Amino acid sequence: MGDFWLILSSAIVAGIGILSIPLLPSKIKAFSNFLFVLLVAITTSIPAINALLGNPMDITLPGSAFFGDIPLRIDALSAWFILIINLTCVNGAFYGIGYMKPYKERKANLSLHWTLFLVFQTSMLWVCMLQHSLAFLIAWEIMSLSSLFLVIFEHEKSETLKAGVNYMVQMHIGVAFLTVAFIWVYFGQGSFDFLAISGYFGTNFNGWLFLLFFIGFGIKAGFIPLHSWLPHAHPAAPSHISGVMSGVIVKLGIYGIIRVALMLQSQLLLIGELLLIISIITGVFGILNASVQRDFKKMLAYCTIENIGIIGTGIGLFLIGAGFNNSMLMVIGLSGALLHTLNHSLFKSLLFFSVGSVYQQTHTRDMEKLGGLIHQMPQTASLFLIGSLAIGGLPPLNGFISEFLIYNGFLNGINTIGLTHSTLMILSIASLAFIGGLSLLTFTKTFGTVFLGNPRQELHDSPSEVSLWMRAPQYFIVGIMLSIGLFPQFYFSVSLQLIQSVLPASGQFVLEDFAPMITLMGNVGRYSMLFLALLIGIYLLRNYFVGLHPSQKNATWGCGYVAPNVHMQYTGKSFSKSLSKLLGFIVKEKKKYTEIEAGEIFPQTRKHTSHYVDLFENTIFEQATKKLLHILNYFQFIQNGKVQMYVMYGLFFILLVFFGTLFNLI
Amino acid sequence: MISLVLILLTSLFFMGVVIRTKSIASGRKGPGLFQPMKDLFRLWKKGSVYSNTTSFIFQIAPSIYFASIIMAILVIPFGEYKGIISFDGDFVFFAYVLALGKFFSIIGALDTGSSFEGMGASREALYSMLAEPAFFILMGSFALYTGHTSFHEIFTSLHFGSYISYGLGALATFVLVMIAMIENSRMPVDDPKTHLELTMVHEVMILDNSGFDLGLILYGTNLKFAMYGALIANFFTGSFPILISILIFFGVQIIFAITVGVLESFSARFRMGNNPQFIFTLTSISILIFFGVLLIMGKFI
Repeated sequence: MGDFWLILSSAIVAGIGILSIPLLPSKIKAFSNFLFVLLVAITTSIPAINALLGNPMDITLPGSAFFGDIPLRIDALSAWFILIINLTCVNGAFYGIGYMKPYKERKANLSLHWTLFLVFQTSMLWVCMLQHSLAFLIAWEIMSLSSLFLVIFEHEKSETLKAGVNYMVQMHIGVAFLTVAFIWVYFGQGSFDFLAISGYFGTNFNGWLFLLFFIGFGIKAGFIPLHSWLPHAHPAAPSHISGVMSGVIVKLGIYGIIRVALMLQSQLLLIGELLLIISIITGVFGILNASVQRDFKKMLAYCTIENIGIIGTGIGLFLIGAGFNNSMLMVIGLSGALLHTLNHSLFKSLLFFSVGSVYQQTHTRDMEKLGGLIHQMPQTASLFLIGSLAIGGLPPLNGFISEFLIYNGFLNGINTIGLTHSTLMILSIASLAFIGGLSLLTFTKTFGTVFLGNPRQELHDSPSEVSLWMRAPQYFIVGIMLSIGLFPQFYFSVSLQLIQSVLPASGQFVLEDFAPMITLMGNVGRYSMLFLALLIGIYLLRNYFVGLHPSQKNATWGCGYVAPNVHMQYTGKSFSKSLSKLLGFIVKEKKKYTEIEAGEIFPQTRKHTSHYVDLFENTIFEQATKKLLHILNYFQFIQNGKVQMYVMYGLFFILLVFFGTLFNLI
Repeated sequence: MISLVLILLTSLFFMGVVIRTKSIASGRKGPGLFQPMKDLFRLWKKGSVYSNTTSFIFQIAPSIYFASIIMAILVIPFGEYKGIISFDGDFVFFAYVLALGKFFSIIGALDTGSSFEGMGASREALYSMLAEPAFFILMGSFALYTGHTSFHEIFTSLHFGSYISYGLGALATFVLVMIAMIENSRMPVDDPKTHLELTMVHEVMILDNSGFDLGLILYGTNLKFAMYGALIANFFTGSFPILISILIFFGVQIIFAITVGVLESFSARFRMGNNPQFIFTLTSISILIFFGVLLIMGKFI
C-alpha cells in the first residue's frame, strides 16, 4: 500500500505547488517550481521503479455506480514512460529557471506558466497510471490544455497564438477519435476499464477499433499525415517547453499505441505491416522536411516526426513478430521502440535546450542569420554537436543503440519469414539507412550554419555563453546518453524484463533465449568504448606530432580571391539545395518574386522570397478544407443570426423528439 | 588481426598502383609505387597553417575521420579469420562508424567559412547519403542468403554454387567498387585531379587542411581504398589455405587498384547534376542482387 501513499503525496505536493507558486515572489517562482517538479518526480518514480523491478501497482479508486471503479495501475510499461516523463520534466524545469529569466517582469504570466508546468507534469503522469477510459480522457485533456497554455506563453505574437489554436484544434480532433473508440468498447463490453479493450479485441474484428485508436494517439505522436501541428507548435513554444513536449508529450501518443497494440488479438500481421509502412514514410518525410527548413526549431520539430517514424517501425516489427509468433522479432522490435523512445526524449530535449540557448542570446530562429557562434558559445555548440551526433544514430552515443536494435530486428526478420515480408524488411533497412544519411546531412547543415564559419549578420547584442543554470541540465543529459551508449546491456535487459511482464500470456518467451542478445549489446557497448578510446588516442597522438612543428594562423584560402566577405559563405539553404531539387516532388519550394520586364531599363529594388511548404498540410489538407468550406457555404441559411429562427429550431427539435417518442420512432 | 595487417600493408602501395596505371595509360613512366607514401611522410613532418575562422572542430575533425576509418577496418574479416571486432550486425556498426567520420569531415570543412568548402561538403553529404541504401541492401541480401548477420559469418558461409550466384558475386563486386569510388570521391563521380574548385567534391573540402592533418586525411583515403578492396577480396578468398588466400587478397587489391586507374584514365567525370541518378542506380542493382538471392533460395514461386 506504500505505493498508494506515494502517489497520493505526489498529488498533494502538486496541489500545494499549484496553490503556492502564484503567491511566491517572481524571483523564486521558477526555482520553487523546479523543487515541486522534483518532489513529484521522486514520489512517482519510486512506485515506477518498483514496477520495473517486478512489483506492479494496482489500486482501485472507488468511482460512481455508473462509471464503475477507477483502476490505477502502474505496470512496467507505464513505469518506463513515467520515468521518462519525470526525467525530462525535471531537466526542463531546471533549464527553464535560466531560460525564463529575461521574462521576469511578466509576473502574472510567469505564475500561470509555472503553475501549468506542474499541472502538465502531473497530468502526464496520471495519463500513464489511469486505466479507466473516462478518467484517462480527463487526464489526457488536462494534459493537452495545460500544454496549450505553456505553448502560447508569448501570446502577444499572432504567430504564436495561431500555432496554439492549430494545436488545440488538432488535439481535440484526436480526443474525438479516442472518445469514440472508448465508447465503442464500452458498448461492446460494458466497462470503462482498459481490460475491456482486450476483451473486445478477443471477440471482434481488430482493424477498425485499432484504426480509431491509432488516429487518436497518432495525432499526438505525429505520424503522417497527422503531424501538421508539430512544426507549428514547437517553434512557437519557449524552448524548455518544446524540449518537454517533443521529449515526452509526443511519446504519450506512442504509449497509447503500444498499450493498445499489446492488447490486439487478431489481424496482427495486417496492422503490423501497415504500421511499418506508415512509420517508414513518416521517417523519410520527417527528415526530408527537416533538411530544408531554415528555422532551426522547425527543423527539430520535423526531426521529431522522423524519430516517431523510427519508433513506429519498432512497434510495427513487434506486431509482425506477434503475427508470426516469432518472439525474437517481437522482443527486438518492442525493445528497440522503447529504447528509442527513451533515447529520443534525451537527445531531443538536449537539442531543444541548446538551440533555446542560441535563441535566448540571438533572438532569432533563422539559421541563415547566424554563424560562427562556436566562438562565443563553445559549450552550447559542443552540446548541440553531441545531440546531433546522437540523433543521427552515430556511435558511441545512445542513438546508435536503439537503431542498431531495430536494424538487428529487420535482419532477423529477413531470415525468418517469407517473400513479401523479406522484401518489406529489406526495403525498411534501406529506408532506415536513407534516413540515417539524410539526418547526417540535416545536422551537419544546421550545426555548420549556426555555429561554424563567420557570423552572417550583425546581431543587436553580441551573444555570449549562457549561464550555468542552463548548461547544467544539458550536461546531465549528456551523461545519461553516454551511459546508454557505453553500457547498453543494462538498459536492454531492463527493457527485456519490461516486455516479458507486459506481454499477454500467449506471447510469452523464455528470458534465457535472449542471453546472447544481452551479450551482443554488451559487446556493442565495449566496442563503442574502444572507439571512443581510439578517437581520443589518435587525437592526442596528432596533437603531439602537430606540436613538433610550428603552425601559424592565416585567412581562409579563398582560391586566390582577395576580398572575400561573409555573404560568400555557403548558406544552409544552398547546402541542402541539391537535395531539395532532387526530391522536389516531396519538399515543395514556393517562390514569390516579380520578373524584370523586357522594357524595364532601370529596375527598382525588388523582393525574392522562397520557403518550403509541407506537402500534406499545404497541398492535400488545404485543398480539402477549401472544398469543405465551399460546400458548407450552402448551409449558411441555417445560421442566419436571427434569434427567432434559433428559438424555432429549438421548438422544432423538441417537437420532433416528442412525436418521435409518441409514435415509437426513436 | 591478420586483416588489419594486410590492409595496412596494402594501403602503402595502393595509390602507387593507381598512379602508375594512370601514367602508363597516358604514355608516361610514372613515379615509383611508394611515391604517394613518401609524399605523406613529408606532409607529416610539415608545420600547418590554420584559418582564423576555424575553431576546435577543425582541429579534431581530421583525427576523428582517421580514427573512424581505423575502427571500420577492425571490423573487416579475412577469409576464415575474424576481424578484431566481430558480432551480429557488425556491418551496421561499420557503416555508422564511417558515417561519424564523414560527419566530422563535413563540419570540419564548414568550419572554415569558405564558400567552396561548403559546396564540397554539401555534395559529399548528398552523395554518401544516396550510396547508403545500396550498401545496406547488399549486405541485407547476403544476410538473407547465408542466414548470418556479421561480416565474418557472411563471408565464410557464402558458397558460390549456381550460375546465378556467380552473377550475384559479380554484381556485388561492381556495387562495392562503385561505393568505394563514391566514398573516396574518385572518378565517375568526382575528379580528384581537377583544377577547378567548383567541380570538386572531396578535394575542395580539405583545401584549408595542411601539414599533419592533411597527411592524415590523405592516408585515410588510402586506407579506405584498401578497406573496400579487402571487402571485395573476401568474396573470393573463401576457404583456401592461408598463403593462397593472402595471394588472392593482394591479387584482388592490385586488380582493384588497376581498375581504379583505368577507370580514371578512360572515363570522364559525370555532370554534377547526373551524379545522384547514377548513385541511386546502385541501389537498384542491389535490389537486383536481393531478387537474385530470393531466386536462389526458392522464395519466388
